[in-house]
Amino acid sequence: MGVDKIKFDKDKFILGVKNSVPITLGYVPMGIGYAAIALKAGMNPIQTVLFSIFVYAGAGEIIGATMLLNGASIIAIILTNFVVNLRYMVMNTVIYNKAKDSTTPLNILSAHLAVDEAFAVFSLMNESSICTYIGIAFTSYLSWILGAIIGVLLLDILPIIVTNSFNISLYALFVAILVPAIKENRQIGLLVLITAILNTGLQFVIGNWSLIVSTLIAALIGVHIVDDEYLTDNTQEELDECC
Amino acid sequence: MNAVNLMILGCAIVTFIPRLVPAIFVDKIKFSPKTEKFLNLLPYTALAALICPGVLTVDSKLWYIGLIGALVAAGLSWKKVPLGAIVILTVIILIIVYSIIPLI
Repeated sequence: MGVDKIKFDKDKFILGVKNSVPITLGYVPMGIGYAAIALKAGMNPIQTVLFSIFVYAGAGEIIGATMLLNGASIIAIILTNFVVNLRYMVMNTVIYNKAKDSTTPLNILSAHLAVDEAFAVFSLMNESSICTYIGIAFTSYLSWILGAIIGVLLLDILPIIVTNSFNISLYALFVAILVPAIKENRQIGLLVLITAILNTGLQFVIGNWSLIVSTLIAALIGVHIVDDEYLTDNTQEELDECC
Repeated sequence: MNAVNLMILGCAIVTFIPRLVPAIFVDKIKFSPKTEKFLNLLPYTALAALICPGVLTVDSKLWYIGLIGALVAAGLSWKKVPLGAIVILTVIILIIVYSIIPLI
């Protein structure tokens, strides 16, 4: 890792941009859906877009907006975001481990761009250049912001039926991320079921805190009920490296 | 500073720090297998908690709208339809459902 020199391979960057297409196709409508909820929660159009620029965490943002809508305290929203977005630490660890040509400046510049989808696409690719990752991640980032901008511009004009329909887009994405994992590993399915029941029950007891509490408790339960083989590709990559 | 701006600032800080730490210390971070497993399970439990019961409040008056959307998305995902297409198709189907409701 050379800190002094930043080498940037344009072709590898473009390769990443090309591979980000499925993500951008999902992010634009999702961004519109997020904007619908954020505006409904009382955020103004500028705040709605700034939230996407500065936080850039689909699930975190939607939780924030939803909690705001339900009158949760700001501290509860920030703490929930911290817990829900803590996973990006693991993702960036995996990404910067995989990217052999990464340098500290490039790492710092791209750190903000970590999201589940970009992480998933890059960690499944044979290509391991940081430039490819940045191509994927930066295009995804722009499309998410674009979605929010289109959302705040369009939602006033669109008929209420269409606006309401966009509200489903983030949930559709959540479901679409969970289903393949459940299909592959029934223990994850069981864990999802446990979490759903726990969260629904706890809502009557602790209100908006139930999201953060049930997320943590269920993951702790998961450590015991999900097989050990269900770990990141990190382990696999370490194996690939040495063999 | 109003509450929403404070929320944006707070969320931005607590989200960026975990992203930044590995960018600088990637060579020094090693999670124990149990911690790694716990962190890896967080997205699933967070998503599950987000979906249920939140999905039922997508439309504050018609609880089944969210349920229909979730089932459509799950069905499409089971059939391995690409992520972007799932989101778009689910939205389109809900627009159709909304158009049909007044007719029933």
